Amino acid sequence: MKIFRVEGTLVATARIGGLELHRLLVVQDRSGGKQVAVDPVGCKPGDWVIAAGSSAARDAAGHSDYPSDLTIVGIIDYWDEENEEQAASADNRAAASAGNGARR
Amino acid sequence: MKIHRVARDLVATHRIPSLADMYLRVVEDDSGDLEVALAPVGAKPGDFVITISTSAARYAATGDKSIPTDLTIGGIIDHWSEERWHD
Repeated sequence: MKIFRVEGTLVATARIGGLELHRLLVVQDRSGGKQVAVDPVGCKPGDWVIAAGSSAARDAAGHSDYPSDLTIVGIIDYWDEENEEQAASADNRAAASAGNGARR
Repeated sequence: MKIHRVARDLVATHRIPSLADMYLRVVEDDSGDLEVALAPVGAKPGDFVITISTSAARYAATGDKSIPTDLTIGGIIDHWSEERWHD
């Protein structure tokens, strides 16, 4: 399974009959590439999620005929990338304020 | 099948019912890309493992295809090294 962050809901009113039942989400992989995933779980924007591909995507969406090649199967409780980013930005702020202090 | 290294455990409380209570691990390949794999054999962070992908992953998980996974850890490699991995 791949790790993604949910960017937001995707509305596509005219869609094939087989794609009913679940909403679609735009998800971003860790390098920023965007894909569309079926969401049977109920995710919010910003959630880090795991998504299955291959035949697992079809079954995870409800039945083996569902036309999905990427389906969200779970929401990650704790993903430290966010904290690494926060830690990094906190470090930057600390460094910046230290820099300011040095200049004063 | 591919060789991966287990990076860490992964907790996802809110998940689809068919994934049940199966254990998950974050695994990395030789270029550092991360994926999530089902872990029926109990691999620890740092272990080198073989992973089974695509629809075979589903059979590897429980013996039938009821679990919707596209990556399953098939076994823990007894002897493997970082150098051999990157060769």
